[in-house]
Amino acid sequence: MSAWRLPAVRLPGVPESSRRRVNLTLGAAVVVVLVLYPWFYSMWLQNTLTQWLPDTSTAFTILAFTVMGLGLNFVVGYAGLLDLGYVAFFAAGSYVAGWLASEQFPQVSFILGGTAPHGTPGIHLSPWLVILCAAIFSAVLGVLIGIPTLRLRGDYLAIVTLGFGEIIPQFVNNGDNIAGHNVTNGSFGLNGIDGLGFGNSVHSALGFLPANFLNEADSRWYYWTALLLVAITIAASILLRDSRLGRAWIAIREDEDAAGAMGVPLMRTKTLSYLIGAFFGGAAGCLITLQASSTSPTAFSLQVSIFVLCMVILGGMGNVWGVTLGGILLAYVNYKGLYAAGNTFNSTFGTNVQIPEYSYLIYGIAIVLFMLVRPEGLIPSARRRAELHEEEEEEIATEIAEGAAA
Amino acid sequence: MSILGIGLLALVAFWLVENAVKNFNQFLLVTLNGITNGSIYALVAIGYTLVYGILELINFAHGDVFSWGAMVTYTIGVSWLGVASKSGVGLFALLLVALLGAAAFCATLNMAVERVAYRRLRNAPRLAPLITAIGMSFVLSNAIAVFYGFNYVSTNPILPQGAIFTIGHQAYGWDKLIVLLITFPALAGLTYVVKRTRWGKAMRATAQNRDAARLMGIDVDRAISFAFGLGGALAGIGGFAYLVYFTQGRFDLGFRIGLFAFTAAVLGGIGNIAGAALGGYLIGFIENFNSGLTWHAPGPNWTESLVFILLILILVFRPHGLLGESLSTRS
Amino acid sequence: MTDNLVETRSLRKEFGGLVAVDDVDFAVARGSIASLIGPNGAGKTTLFNMITGAYQPTAGEIVFDGRDVVGLPQHKITELGIGRTFQNIRLFGTMTSLENVLVGMHSRLTSGVFRSVFRSPRQRREEAQARERARELLAYCGLRRRVEQQFARNLSYGDQRRLEVARALATDPKLLLLDEPTAGMNPQETRAFIDFVRKAREELELTVLLIEHDMKVITQVSEHVTVLDYGQKIAEGEPSDVTSDERVRAAYLGTKALV
Repeated sequence: MSAWRLPAVRLPGVPESSRRRVNLTLGAAVVVVLVLYPWFYSMWLQNTLTQWLPDTSTAFTILAFTVMGLGLNFVVGYAGLLDLGYVAFFAAGSYVAGWLASEQFPQVSFILGGTAPHGTPGIHLSPWLVILCAAIFSAVLGVLIGIPTLRLRGDYLAIVTLGFGEIIPQFVNNGDNIAGHNVTNGSFGLNGIDGLGFGNSVHSALGFLPANFLNEADSRWYYWTALLLVAITIAASILLRDSRLGRAWIAIREDEDAAGAMGVPLMRTKTLSYLIGAFFGGAAGCLITLQASSTSPTAFSLQVSIFVLCMVILGGMGNVWGVTLGGILLAYVNYKGLYAAGNTFNSTFGTNVQIPEYSYLIYGIAIVLFMLVRPEGLIPSARRRAELHEEEEEEIATEIAEGAAA
Repeated sequence: MSILGIGLLALVAFWLVENAVKNFNQFLLVTLNGITNGSIYALVAIGYTLVYGILELINFAHGDVFSWGAMVTYTIGVSWLGVASKSGVGLFALLLVALLGAAAFCATLNMAVERVAYRRLRNAPRLAPLITAIGMSFVLSNAIAVFYGFNYVSTNPILPQGAIFTIGHQAYGWDKLIVLLITFPALAGLTYVVKRTRWGKAMRATAQNRDAARLMGIDVDRAISFAFGLGGALAGIGGFAYLVYFTQGRFDLGFRIGLFAFTAAVLGGIGNIAGAALGGYLIGFIENFNSGLTWHAPGPNWTESLVFILLILILVFRPHGLLGESLSTRS
Repeated sequence: MTDNLVETRSLRKEFGGLVAVDDVDFAVARGSIASLIGPNGAGKTTLFNMITGAYQPTAGEIVFDGRDVVGLPQHKITELGIGRTFQNIRLFGTMTSLENVLVGMHSRLTSGVFRSVFRSPRQRREEAQARERARELLAYCGLRRRVEQQFARNLSYGDQRRLEVARALATDPKLLLLDEPTAGMNPQETRAFIDFVRKAREELELTVLLIEHDMKVITQVSEHVTVLDYGQKIAEGEPSDVTSDERVRAAYLGTKALV
């Protein structure tokens, strides 16, 4: 089975080889549209569909959250561990951005390829490096959280992760006075965070590469960075899924005891899923904060963890493409769709219902409905479908066999 | 119990004694507050433990049933019956009506949630009903917002204002006493129902061994519904107590209180009713000692973290809680 | 002095008040095919579970290949060379047959996160070799090529049993524990299985320990039989000796089962 196999578009009567070509062409088209989106939006679509299409800043947010969904997919989708505190990694990545790219620590003055002007107090690393540091810090946090947590079963694991998801924001909120040091600036959050950019030297050499993304007219450069991060995360997901580690994760999800008996080291393997999931969650969180230029504890709540979980459920737990699609869809609904729908609703019916306020009512209903009716998600992996439904098994077996023969 | 556990307890005991010595009045008051708040946690915790005992499901939405209890109390008591402006025997009669209304509503609500969301998933992989419960929690809490808005709903004090007795400069009033007056009979009634009635026995049998219960002719679906109804009623009573005490309510009330109550249930031994009550009071003490005592207390900013750290410690080191039995197959 | 591959000394397992395994001294000679028999609930699977590290004994020792293994994590014990099948089949249902076997190889493969993500030449070679070996194992255990890509849960019962064995063999064991491997098999299948066990023992240099109820298998394939009843060892020896032992007959409640 090719590692890069896209979900088969079902065209009846079309032979497998042509189907493959159609898939690849469709895939390429999608990529082109995504990359060129900022131009499409500003040049042609803005006037006609501006109500329903997200601007580059919103599109950026959508993609960044999709990265989080893909990150959580390692934990929930592959290893089958219900993590309800994923927001902790978002927070970790976000605050690393604040620590390493703002004036938070004026006692130090350390600039290493940062986008801040010379002589600015505080630590200012190159923001690309900051993203990497955020991801690593978050991964370490994931391992630490995993130590007490991963020895627990199913629902207890869920509750404990939820506990961590609550504790960490509280630490952040109270972090303006940890043994006399202001680490997180408490409820005020961190501000004045540097933007992403290529720096002045690169900009002087190659004019089209901006020195600081924040100075651009719109968020297209952030958007492209997020798109790149999504691609990296998807690649990592697929490469790991079809490897020794991926098989170990799925075995654990299926039957933990049997997996252990077959020589899979349970704690280590589960911790790896946490580590990798946290890595991407931290990267996404950092990226979001570099665009927003500030962060505060109010952004980190259980709702965010559930929101990201919803993406994974919607996408069909474990299915990379499904989670990508589910993530984009759900984030779109949350950051644009509901607002547009609300406006249209209100202007049509002359009401003043703030539909976005009830977003979590809608997501809650969606979760319940999906679990009851279609737990395998929008685009289930063949595997997941087999897991949850008794029918259609022969169909799936044939599909796989065809795929293997091709 | 390990050396570490004993050491920690000794430390806590020492801290309590120090505080008591330094300011006894404050200590006494804080203890009383602990019992009061603890009562509410106990009522909600029992609901968690009843459902977990019979289904091995953490009913995430239980805290939100409690929120509904508070809001329904407001609607029936304050909006319809106008208790905020009544007094004397008439007041207590009306409050009783509100109490029964809240209990009945929440019992029905909890049973409906089970019927709609959980029943179909009884044989699904373990995580499915848990995820559904999370979804249900959001549905219930936001449904409150649909009817009552997102802001606090508050009322003038309902109960007579004066202090029943004072400790130092602090007063212990009717609003707190009523919580105890409601809780103790409720707990007594619960004990009777669970131990003496047919349905209580059916519920306990189903919790111990579902197949055997079925073979004995027990309608397992009804027994499970009963557990949900009972738990819901208690949550409703807890909600009533909360509203009457704090005179305000909000759609997201149940989140924090629900998590504390769940911690209480786990602390006492999940599945064990007496444990849930005990756990509830312990959490009440922890909350109030932390925010009320002055000598080296972390302070109210840290209450949630303390409770969750406690939850994590219990689940890692003593998952069967204080009163539960150790049932591990590994040593 | 026989060279015992695995030995238990005064092995005991209690679950609360229930004693599942009661001070059992038990040994399996290297290279032999041995059986562990007894009525249901005698403690046979519990003994297996302690040997593989799934359960921690309440008391006693387990020595495998000269090494004390009590307290070692399960995956370590598998790595040392113990593979097993389960009484009620526990395959990874939504993984293909090939993938199930590949999971069995987990402890024999070395590629970690970085090499997998960056698809290093070594990792690609290792994966290719692993797949080749997995295919060989599937064939060796009598599974046709066709089932390679089928989900384990869709296989026939017989194929599932074969797959369980293939997966256990993938762990490259010295000791193979088979828990009621012929349950549900008809006489031809049972005969084929007996031949397979003998062949595998020779060709793969295995020691085999079976939990069995089928007397034909016990008498035809085992060189040594141990009998458990209520957690205690009540008899052991060659099959013919054990089957004529009065206590064993009594334990099985009547002689019908032994005929």
